[in-house]
Amino acid sequence: MRKRIIIRITLIVVLILMGISLYTIGKEHKVLIDNKDISMGGLTYNADTAYNVRVDNLEIGLLEKDERKAVKVVGASHKIVVEEIKNKISTGEKHEKKFKLKINENVTINLPAMVNNMDKWIEKIKN
Amino acid sequence: MKKQNLTGTMNPYLKFLIDYSVPIIISLLVAFAIPLSGLSGKYFIKELTIRLSRNSFLILALLIPVMAGMGMNFGIVLGAMAGEIGIIFVTDWGIVGLPSMLLAMLISTPIAILLGYFAGIVLNRAKGREMVTGFMLGFFMNGIYQLVVLYGMGNIIPISNSKILLPRGYGIRNAISLMGIRQVMDKFIPLKIGGILIPIGTILVIASLCIFIVWFKKTKLGQDMRTVGQDNEVARAAGINVEKTRILSIVISTVLACYGQIIFLQNIGTMNTYNSHEQVGVFAIAALLVGGASVAKANIFNVFIGVILFHTMFIVSPRAGKAIIGQAQLGEYFRVFVSYGVIAFSLALYAWRKRVEKENERRKAMAFKRMLLQNNNTAEGDKL
Repeated sequence: MRKRIIIRITLIVVLILMGISLYTIGKEHKVLIDNKDISMGGLTYNADTAYNVRVDNLEIGLLEKDERKAVKVVGASHKIVVEEIKNKISTGEKHEKKFKLKINENVTINLPAMVNNMDKWIEKIKN
Repeated sequence: MKKQNLTGTMNPYLKFLIDYSVPIIISLLVAFAIPLSGLSGKYFIKELTIRLSRNSFLILALLIPVMAGMGMNFGIVLGAMAGEIGIIFVTDWGIVGLPSMLLAMLISTPIAILLGYFAGIVLNRAKGREMVTGFMLGFFMNGIYQLVVLYGMGNIIPISNSKILLPRGYGIRNAISLMGIRQVMDKFIPLKIGGILIPIGTILVIASLCIFIVWFKKTKLGQDMRTVGQDNEVARAAGINVEKTRILSIVISTVLACYGQIIFLQNIGTMNTYNSHEQVGVFAIAALLVGGASVAKANIFNVFIGVILFHTMFIVSPRAGKAIIGQAQLGEYFRVFVSYGVIAFSLALYAWRKRVEKENERRKAMAFKRMLLQNNNTAEGDKL
């Protein structure tokens, strides 16, 4: 009888854990990608370059100055790769960042801040 | 002594015709309608493949209650409702892809178990009238489902996604887009042959269920269900808990129907919140009966023959209707007519067979009594 109860409780716990992991793996997040001027700690980084953006190997496309694009990503761990474009030709300079998203978290990524390795290149969107 | 059994004395060809009258009639109808429809072979195969993968799981869910002698489980509507509740939640939470489908299954399983248990208890109190009771249970539970979804969700049950909520702030919209899970299982292992998508993922799941059913029949519980299906009293005398076995068969069927509805909806890609489940029972049962099953006997073979014939009719009937009278609407009416007609015909055939069997039993008993009397009279005559 006791063994049966233990088995049942274990099964319920396993199912709950499975549910939580499925929720985390399948959760869709909104990521806004900005190519806009940004000021932080007295420093200003200007968006004077266009970038070709890929998120999780998905081509997002070219982001010109002052442009914003939205992308939906699934899961917790992601990778963004940006490639500098000048006069419609790639300069060959690539920047790559990895980021993790918490449950129910949507973020904004600022490309000038990202390529300049600023701390606040990624910011949570307040609901 | 002359054999008194009506079906026993029947010509085997005639017996075959009676046993398989429904699939034979539908095959003839389909054979007549296919050339009239003028559909290309490729389109036809594509449609049939989609429908096979979309519906087979739901129809397979009907087999276990037949094994337990409970007839066609109209109560699979309850399982379908549980599946839809799971889908509403994952859509609200913004879960996409295969994890979304699996999570919907996980959430809806306890709901399906509870509903199946409730249905099992009710059906145990209505022995011999399981099918009509199951049908009415579907209507009853539909009312509760509507109450929960239309008034409870957004009010008592938190729903935050404004895309699925009604503008008033509570209740779920009439139609929900399931773009997040659309064909995720079908396209899980992508394969195209001649431009036709073969839903390998779904086919594998259906094949697994078929293997499960074959295995289940050989288990202790499966054997118990077959015994209960043959005779309740004999099963009880053999120490089987008849009521519990019957409840279990309905619980398993309801849970499978819940998964079947999720598979069905992932293929379609949209959910009609208040109507998607309504016709599930009728169409699944009609398909199984078209496949040559009866209220007392059904197998995996009947499921696939039924899906192919029934859904071939669905594919070709609108075009055939248009070719005959110039209106595709005729095909729509025709398929609804055939669905209900097939069920009515099968039930009538089953009732007729039961009556014949009873008559046979009565004749056998009378002949036995007459023989005993004759023997007694001969013995008395010899004494005198």
